[in-house]
Amino acid sequence: MSEDRKNVVDMAGARLDDDHILSMYIDNELDAGRTVALLERLKAEPTLRARLSQLEANDSLLRKLYKQRHQAVPSQLATMLRADNGVLFGATRFKRWAAGAIAASVATIAVVMSLSQTNTFNPMTMDQQLASALEGSASQASGWVPLDKRRDFRSVLTFPAADGRWCREFLLAHDESHWRGVACRDNGTWVNQVMGSEVFLEQATQYKPAGADADEKVARFIDETAVDIALGPQEEAVLIQRGWISY
Amino acid sequence: MASLTAQQRQDLIEELPRLKRFCLSLTSDPTDADDLLQITVERLLEKGMPADAHVAKWAHRVCRNLWIDEIRSRDVRNRYAQSESVSEGAGTTAANTDESVQLDRVAVAMQKLPPEQRAALVKVAVEGCSYAEAAAVLEVPIGTIMSRVARARKALAEDLEWSVEREA
Repeated sequence: MSEDRKNVVDMAGARLDDDHILSMYIDNELDAGRTVALLERLKAEPTLRARLSQLEANDSLLRKLYKQRHQAVPSQLATMLRADNGVLFGATRFKRWAAGAIAASVATIAVVMSLSQTNTFNPMTMDQQLASALEGSASQASGWVPLDKRRDFRSVLTFPAADGRWCREFLLAHDESHWRGVACRDNGTWVNQVMGSEVFLEQATQYKPAGADADEKVARFIDETAVDIALGPQEEAVLIQRGWISY
Repeated sequence: MASLTAQQRQDLIEELPRLKRFCLSLTSDPTDADDLLQITVERLLEKGMPADAHVAKWAHRVCRNLWIDEIRSRDVRNRYAQSESVSEGAGTTAANTDESVQLDRVAVAMQKLPPEQRAALVKVAVEGCSYAEAAAVLEVPIGTIMSRVARARKALAEDLEWSVEREA
């Protein structure tokens, strides 16, 4: 190829070889006069045409590489940016790759309170008020929806799980305590999946003490569960209106 | 400096995918790219940006400076990135295998490029930025972008060892 690259064009004082010219042509950065000249050469020089094809094919592979392998953005980053007041809900359109389908019996995580204290508030409890809030409340960046005299609720985001369920990340405030959790809608019933970080839930009936940061656990759960990005506010509103039936 | 405004946060959320690709173009390793992206977001949250700042440009600038100051000084192992594809039903057809091999070769070839060429090429060929846009983000003259992109393409072509005879 090098012996064919005799055509050097002066561009603002810089002498450019064919590869530079072809590169600018690919990027639509070649001026009209030089584009016409190049097109004439491409008609007459098969070697030059082949070189252009090579460069364009490599670009195509590069775009494919980045699209297929390097799209994922850690979900906690968007969460970090939304974590304060005024952050708009509409999360960026980035793909999340699911680690695998979530089995119905998957347990993991949550429950902060000691379960030996029967009169202690259990944030993992899914009662009518919480279920109703999950069913009908729009996600928001700030503000609370009162559940009862002692609890307030805020939905943070809604996302699809790999197993086909809709899940919602939410905040729950009880007196002076706050929890962050995720609940998923299973055949019309909301089930808490993760909350806080002190107890692992196994098959919705057993609890074990554990220790980890609540936010980290929730973020990890979302990271491993979500098959796509969180819904935008309009999409979420439509889904809620349709009774969580996606078409 | 003021903390990020709500609009800046939203703009930054929307910029995250492009910022991720930029991080990858700098580090050439997905894990390091995630680290750099995380640090960049943390720095932006911590330091904020001017109210009239162009969010994308500012974020890219912070990211690049962090890479220069912090990532370069780390003991970064040169790992080859593994595919993140979860196309479980893709099967193992010959076409898929061939394409995967091609993408592997391109990934390796990209790792060999100088970081500044890699960043310029990703900005232009993958992100679709004009030379002027790429120059503004990377804070170099337009002519430098033109040169880096052309040299990167040339290096890739030579590394991938595609010949005119094979195409014919």
